[in-house]
Amino acid sequence: MSSSPQVVVAAVFLGWLCWPAGAQTPAPAGQASPPATPAYAGSEACGTCHEDIYNAFQKNPHKLVDTQKRRGFDGKACESCHGPGGKHAESADKKDILNPANMPPAEADRDCLKCHLNQPTHIGRIQSSHAKNEVSCTACHAIHRNGPNGLVPRNMAAINEQCASCHTGVWAEFQRPYKHRLPEAAMSCVDCHNPHGSILRASRQTYAANEPGCFRCHGNLRGPFTFEHAPIRLEGCGACHEPHGSANPRMLTRAEVRYMCLECHANLPTAPGPIKNPPALGGVPPAFHDLFSPQFQNCTVCHMKIHGSYVSQDLLK
Amino acid sequence: MKLLLALLLSIPLLAQAPAATPAPVTAPAPAAATPTPPTEDWLTGSIDLGYRFSSVGGSNDDYRSVVNLGSGPRLFGLDFTIIDPKKRLFDRLDVRAYNWGGDPYNTVHVNASKRGIYDFNFDYRDIAYFNFLPSFADPLLGSGIVLDENSYNTRRRMSDFQLDLLPGKRIMPYLAYGRDSGQGTGITTFETGNNEYPVSDSMFDKTDNYRAGVHLEFNRWHVTLEQGGTTLREDQQAYMSGFNAGNNTAPFLGQQLDLTGLTQAYGIRGDSIYTKGLFTASPVSWLDLYGQFLYSRPETNVSYNQLDYGSFVVLSSLLFYTGEQALEFAETKEPHTTGSFGFELRPLKRVRVIESLMTDRLHTAAAGLLTDMILSPASVAQTTPLPLSGMLVMNYNQEQVDVLLDVTRKLMLRGGYRYVWGDAEAPAALIAGVGLESSELRQNVGLAGVTFRVTRKLSANLDFEGASTSHAYFRTSLYNYQKMRARARYQVTSKLALQASFSLLDNQNPSPTINYDFLSRQNSLSATWTPGKRVSVLGEYTRSTLRSNINYLEPEVLVPELSLYRDDAHTASGLVDLALPGYSGLAPRLAFGGSLFISSGSRPTSYYQPLARLSVPLHKNLSWNSEYRFYGYAEAFYQYEGFRAHILQTGIKLSR
Repeated sequence: MSSSPQVVVAAVFLGWLCWPAGAQTPAPAGQASPPATPAYAGSEACGTCHEDIYNAFQKNPHKLVDTQKRRGFDGKACESCHGPGGKHAESADKKDILNPANMPPAEADRDCLKCHLNQPTHIGRIQSSHAKNEVSCTACHAIHRNGPNGLVPRNMAAINEQCASCHTGVWAEFQRPYKHRLPEAAMSCVDCHNPHGSILRASRQTYAANEPGCFRCHGNLRGPFTFEHAPIRLEGCGACHEPHGSANPRMLTRAEVRYMCLECHANLPTAPGPIKNPPALGGVPPAFHDLFSPQFQNCTVCHMKIHGSYVSQDLLK
Repeated sequence: MKLLLALLLSIPLLAQAPAATPAPVTAPAPAAATPTPPTEDWLTGSIDLGYRFSSVGGSNDDYRSVVNLGSGPRLFGLDFTIIDPKKRLFDRLDVRAYNWGGDPYNTVHVNASKRGIYDFNFDYRDIAYFNFLPSFADPLLGSGIVLDENSYNTRRRMSDFQLDLLPGKRIMPYLAYGRDSGQGTGITTFETGNNEYPVSDSMFDKTDNYRAGVHLEFNRWHVTLEQGGTTLREDQQAYMSGFNAGNNTAPFLGQQLDLTGLTQAYGIRGDSIYTKGLFTASPVSWLDLYGQFLYSRPETNVSYNQLDYGSFVVLSSLLFYTGEQALEFAETKEPHTTGSFGFELRPLKRVRVIESLMTDRLHTAAAGLLTDMILSPASVAQTTPLPLSGMLVMNYNQEQVDVLLDVTRKLMLRGGYRYVWGDAEAPAALIAGVGLESSELRQNVGLAGVTFRVTRKLSANLDFEGASTSHAYFRTSLYNYQKMRARARYQVTSKLALQASFSLLDNQNPSPTINYDFLSRQNSLSATWTPGKRVSVLGEYTRSTLRSNINYLEPEVLVPELSLYRDDAHTASGLVDLALPGYSGLAPRLAFGGSLFISSGSRPTSYYQPLARLSVPLHKNLSWNSEYRFYGYAEAFYQYEGFRAHILQTGIKLSR
């Protein structure tokens, strides 16, 4: 009996966990006690009051829901997201209809995922930081907008503008002199990133199954090379390049090539310490180049095949 | 490509015929009580034509490396949509083309679709890549020779076609083809016999990518199966004829080293097959499953041929020679397998558990033979056959679990854990005298996050990762690190919105010979203000700082040194958009603003891009648009690379 308080606390906690988070605020009547047999009004009935939205919706890709029996919402496209609207059609009370815009993002997303979960787009969703940070589908997709491209921008400048509206710091990096050509609208954020998530970090796109998306445009750097430069395969192009933009030539992460190379090729064996065994790759042995001589100040003058070589193990040709 | 553009431009003309006939009624007239969708024109779109004037002062090579906009007539933009009322070949055709007529970035996108039958997309880009930056690689700058020994003047062209059949159905096959090619010239370095010689270079490469697959989409599960392949062709040649003293102009043991003739050619052919299998499933309402299997096996074959004449030396034996011929044949294969599996479990109303496992395995194996023949007037030719072998092994694994708890409708907390482990093996540098070197990866990462929606007008989220690492691949790899991102949005009034974001990465590797200390911070603030219908103002400011310290051994004196890199940057951008007093129902618009970037630290740089834009409507469907833009670029340490450019473009935009 001495553990009774803990049991009570545990039971209360479990009950709280099981109780929907939304129940803490007064729920709309339609949500709290749905009718035993939901009454659908049909899309045309919705259009009688919401004419602007209805008209805009006619060329929206979601209009397809009205004409397909596949999802079971034929003739009820509006209610496929907003829930049965029979009661709302009679009362015209906003409490009698679901409004995903007022729902917590996770709940609103579940509404979208009723149909969209089992689609290839969402294969990376489980690892996506958008999903984990509750950036809801409607943050990017305008559901009611007209036209086949109404859901989301397709024009590269508009895509970039949309991403930049949240990722302001990243867009600032594109104002640097050396960058990928996004400000010129020759590329867009989704060329490199999959906003729905990816198997790669930072939702980077993949190419040819499991290659980094960089090789979609830089096919000549893909190899495989007789002699690989290991960081490219092990850590990706970002080990040396800042793809969003840099003040350094070639979008490098350091101002001069030699300093970037020396950070790894430091001529220092790994001493006992936190890294004991095995050592870091590429650290040894001492090279003999005189870095005071301009001849050796840019490593890629000689090691020109820095992305990998077909001929030379030292990436000289 | 010009033919294709002409064809696309002619589509609106060809499509005029059906519009002349009355559009048939394709659906029964709706009941009187239901709304009637508005009718639309069969053709809508716009064309934006004009002329650009450019004036560049300072380094033209640097201007071309950074901006590269030239003078001349231009098609700035073309976009149109055709809706076929009879829905014969397509329901709808969208075409967008930008920056044609000599601009360095040309794009075209075409989308044609017929509901439930097909969806076709074509994307083409032609991007000029010019890069000539003396500060990057000019060992001879001290002698007054301004030259970038790693320079490029190339174009990359990317085409992608994709045809999706039966979109919206349960079984959707698709076909796709993509081509990525590059062609151009440049300057590269030929390194031999204790000297490097800048030589001209011509490059060509082409990768074709073919793939086909099928999506099977059912209510509770989905599978995508795809099979594809790529082919690669790459040819690179370097030629030189005449005297070339190279970068090392000092005589070596009294003898001048030089290159008098060179023929160097790479012929690379490659191909790959790849397979993709994806699945998602929701067997019950509280469980979603995800998985993917990805496999690729690229391989390349190379034939390399080199013939060079001049005066060279083999350092190890102090052998002076006058020529060298090298031939190489090699083959490389790289099987690469990736798999992942995960699930989202919702055991309780407030709790979501996300678990994912991933493995990525790659093994490169190369074999070849290099035959090198040294020609010397003092001795008989020495031929050395050298077997080549290369390899790289990577095994990467990751397991991650996240628990998301909806504390209230407004507050979500997230906590998680990621364990990363793997190993890698690669050839050591030749000078090391060790065949292979290997390393391991062991990383424990704690994850946390908060999403707080105070009201619909105010929300914030925080994302945190903290890691403890026992083994990492490289000295600069993420080791003991903390990564944090925070973002807040506040709609102050209906006219004013504010957003702030903060990100931080602090990475430390305290090993005595490494002592890596990396810190980057970024703070951004943006505001959107619309005080009235005629004015809108957008402003953004970002401050970013980066600090990187790491130990290394100065190669020539073998003295321990600390490498320091600093970058302290301010970036600001803004745009004021004004609707000017109108006439006849037409309102001109004036916009001005631009961006600036100023950095100090290891490479102090400033880059200004102010602009002003005026749009004057001349008629309901015709407007005259002009834009002035200034580009000002300066580097404190490399003043010869600065430039100032004035760009004025003016033209008309016809829309329908």
